[in-house]
Amino acid sequence: MAQNDTVINGWQPVIGLEVHVQLLTNTKLFSPAKNKFGEDANSLVDLIDMGLPGVLPVLNEDAMNQGIKFGLATSAKISETMIFDRKNYFYPDLPKGYQITQLHYPIVKDGVVDLGYKKVRIHQAHLEEDAGKSMHDQYDANSVIDLNRSGVPLLEIVSEPDLRSAQEAVDYLKKIHQIITYLDISDGNMSQGSMRCDANVSLMRPDSKEYGTRAEIKNINSFKFVEKAINHEIKRQMKILEVGGEIEQETRLYDAVKDETRSMRTKEFANDYRYFPCPDLVPTHISKEQIEHVKNTMDELPEEKQKRFKDQYKLDDYDSKVLCAEKETAKFYEEVVQKCDPQIAAKWIIGELNALLNKNELSLKDSKITSSNFAALILKISDGTISGKIAKDILEDIWESGNAVSDIIDSKNLKQISDTGEIEKVIDEIFENNKSQVEAYKSGKDKLFGFFVGQVMKATQGKANPGMVNQLLKDKLK
Amino acid sequence: MNFKEQRENFRNKKISAKEAVQEALSKVENDKLNIFISNLRDSAEKRAEEIDSNFEKYKDKPLSGVPIAHKDIFCTENIQTTCGSKMLSNFVPPYSSTVTKNCDEAGSVMIAKTNMDEFAMGSSNETSFFGPVGNPWNDSLVPGGSSGGSAACVAANITSISTGTDTGGSIRQPAALCGITGMKPTYGLVSRWGMIAFCSSMDQAGPFARDAFGCAALLDAMASYDAKDSTCSKREVVNFENALAKDFGTLNIGIIKNIEELGINNDVLEAYEHSKSVLQQLGHTIKEIDFSELSSGICSYYVIAPAECSSNLSRFDGVKYGYRSDQNNISELYMKTRSEGFGDEVKKRILIGTHVLSAGFYDAYYLKAQQVRRMMKNKFEDIFKDVDLIFMPTTLDQAFEKNRKDSDPNRMYKEDLLTIPANLAGLPAISFPNGFKNNLPIGGQFVGNYFKEDLLLNTANKIQEVTDWHKMTP
Amino acid sequence: MNKIELKNLLFLARIHAEEKEYPEITKKLTNTFNLIDEMNNLDLKDLEPLNNPLELKNVSRTDKERNRNQKDKFLDQSPESDDDHFMVPKIIE
Repeated sequence: MAQNDTVINGWQPVIGLEVHVQLLTNTKLFSPAKNKFGEDANSLVDLIDMGLPGVLPVLNEDAMNQGIKFGLATSAKISETMIFDRKNYFYPDLPKGYQITQLHYPIVKDGVVDLGYKKVRIHQAHLEEDAGKSMHDQYDANSVIDLNRSGVPLLEIVSEPDLRSAQEAVDYLKKIHQIITYLDISDGNMSQGSMRCDANVSLMRPDSKEYGTRAEIKNINSFKFVEKAINHEIKRQMKILEVGGEIEQETRLYDAVKDETRSMRTKEFANDYRYFPCPDLVPTHISKEQIEHVKNTMDELPEEKQKRFKDQYKLDDYDSKVLCAEKETAKFYEEVVQKCDPQIAAKWIIGELNALLNKNELSLKDSKITSSNFAALILKISDGTISGKIAKDILEDIWESGNAVSDIIDSKNLKQISDTGEIEKVIDEIFENNKSQVEAYKSGKDKLFGFFVGQVMKATQGKANPGMVNQLLKDKLK
Repeated sequence: MNFKEQRENFRNKKISAKEAVQEALSKVENDKLNIFISNLRDSAEKRAEEIDSNFEKYKDKPLSGVPIAHKDIFCTENIQTTCGSKMLSNFVPPYSSTVTKNCDEAGSVMIAKTNMDEFAMGSSNETSFFGPVGNPWNDSLVPGGSSGGSAACVAANITSISTGTDTGGSIRQPAALCGITGMKPTYGLVSRWGMIAFCSSMDQAGPFARDAFGCAALLDAMASYDAKDSTCSKREVVNFENALAKDFGTLNIGIIKNIEELGINNDVLEAYEHSKSVLQQLGHTIKEIDFSELSSGICSYYVIAPAECSSNLSRFDGVKYGYRSDQNNISELYMKTRSEGFGDEVKKRILIGTHVLSAGFYDAYYLKAQQVRRMMKNKFEDIFKDVDLIFMPTTLDQAFEKNRKDSDPNRMYKEDLLTIPANLAGLPAISFPNGFKNNLPIGGQFVGNYFKEDLLLNTANKIQEVTDWHKMTP
Repeated sequence: MNKIELKNLLFLARIHAEEKEYPEITKKLTNTFNLIDEMNNLDLKDLEPLNNPLELKNVSRTDKERNRNQKDKFLDQSPESDDDHFMVPKIIE
């Protein structure tokens, strides 16, 4: 994909993404309340999350370690000193009237994410607490507040404006998703809000030295909408600039239903957040020992795993990449190849299994397919018990029923026919019933070979060993 | 009546906790100085009975069987806590502060919550939503603030001990104006969990008592490491009561050159001079030190304290607890709740604080103020290389009239001139009675190095062994 | 501080005041700023700002759960609530 072709009608889109990732800690960032999604409203709210008078925050060291992991995975600088600041603003779901975040001394700085065709720089990643949720549909005259989410740890990952198209933005977002799920620091679930994305979009002339004015797009909650929202915004800005207008620096909300962005022109005055260091917390000096300790607890990163798969399982670049795209898939693969041939397993996972998962829009862990059962299937293919075509049918059966491979083979009598005598008998019968085709073949119509193969397969309900059929037919048609 | 006697009476079974409590409560109920915001008769009597029936358990605790009043800034579970404000006039905390919990476990009985300047902002206890407090020596005068109620409570002999908080002098100044002993510990010695925040980097809870002994015992009860407060020191806590008997030998005591040029009242200066000779008689050496930066502390304080308070008080928005103005749109809810729920002084400080943190002003104000703070700390560090303690008056004046009309609009703020520097640097300081004139008490102040509470208490105690100012009662 | 600046400041702090109160408020604020401005007479060179008197570092806790949830108590005490939520006048985005 040529990433140079991102200029549209003489305008170069420039995009930066701010991704908020909810961390998978047991408790919240500054309070010991449970960090969990989907519970009864206001049931996971500690005194501290309520912002009651007299309460004080205490930092969760696990959240810090997860931030360090992200920094290590993106070759970033882990800050020697990390300081929390207060960001002051008023909103009903922000109990203290300020959010504890990191402005000048974030935990991670200057990272890089490799998309393969280009590298995208990360400006910084910082820790901050999430706000509660306010909802407006329950009552006519009231909004309601749920503070369960108040205080949940977030890692806000801010990219440099290095992205040049909606596609690049999606690729970047997917890469971030891969990294955070590989690291087990987040489940990256955009629909549940554990990964949220804001996009900063501007346009410039390709030869200009300055970026254009940018608009911030919020409320994008799927990969698909990221692409749509950005493309829509690019079009909107182009329209304005083409007629000599100016882009307003503002925040816009993406409306998925109408596929458009609209201005959030609610604030009369620009919000002055009056940042200052939070006096209830103290600075943290992150030592080399701590970083080393975190490094030792980290699982393999995607690139490392890909390389290892290539070497260990003798796979090519492409297959490795596909198998390692998601940690779950890679784990499944390694369990499967404990018992069977790595190349065959790879082929079947990348091909048939992936196709099934995509068609049904399900993830591996939610499906009925277990690694041991899948391995059993591969074994039956390897040892010739079943043919490839039959294997495909069996796979679909497992998908539906979750039954063991051997049970399916037995109950449906799907064993491959590899007895040469048996196949010969079938071939002889077919030749008997199709004398003219035999004649035609022998006098030069080579294409009829396929006809004979098809007939044998039909007669054996697809169970005849294809290799053997080919060989025997060749011999008999000489 | 002093603390030591009260505790002895309980330990010797001369008076039960219940009797002591009932005596104190009848004084609470007859109080004409508006010292109290809530009277806790029911819970106090119950608690006293509990302590009496568990005599063996409580007899050796630092505060065994002694009634205590707490400043209404400390959250007390299921007991109204107002912080002197309309904003919290209906607030009942679902949890208790570490300070009140510690005092409870040390065997004291909480009989009342005392009146205070609203959200601890003030130097005269006149900004309280619940009305001003009178000085027990002369009720047309102020007791000082913001812990005016707690100071008056001890001065009026209602309880022998009470708790206060000191951010810019709010324990020491009322102690001086009421003729009792009051101490601000080192920042971080006492947990701030449950103490309603005004200026987080300077707030510190501390004891009031008639004398250093009472303060020492109360501080023993109050101070403990608390993992719920990230700014709390992990340092091993000394037993302060035991430290009173220690011999610290002769000390070098610093007195500030030209301090009389700071506008200190002559009567206060006279008491100060007299104290110097008492110290010399006790064998200590008086050394003159230069501290010309002393008076700059006040400019820095009035940037930092409003800045932090403007942020700390943002949580009072009528959404989750406390006062709410009846409005039908969210913007008005915020604006009216906060303008109706807060008093004028609090609103003023919030505005100052909001401004000094604003874009474009942060460097000129907040950053600079933090640099002044650093200058103060550095200066103190230099001074403490040569002296063990600094001695100076606590206040510029004696108790002054309520509703005083000042020609200098900043006069009230300047009352804290001599107390603020210790808050900026986080150092411990104690005020003790050192004079009496015009039928009103005068206070002297020691400032010590970090975690030298034992030295401060010990030195004040030694003075109180040879003087009688602390024994005077209205 | 002029009228507009004060209005913005009041809004930033979410404190309502009638316009007729503005002169009085401005006066009070100005007096305090006069006091604060005396800081400008000091030579502060390159002094490092001081945030925390003890200059403590590295305070954190382990990721262990502790249940201090009091949902019913929190809601009962609130100015307005239903069985599950805090309630405010409708927020229009």
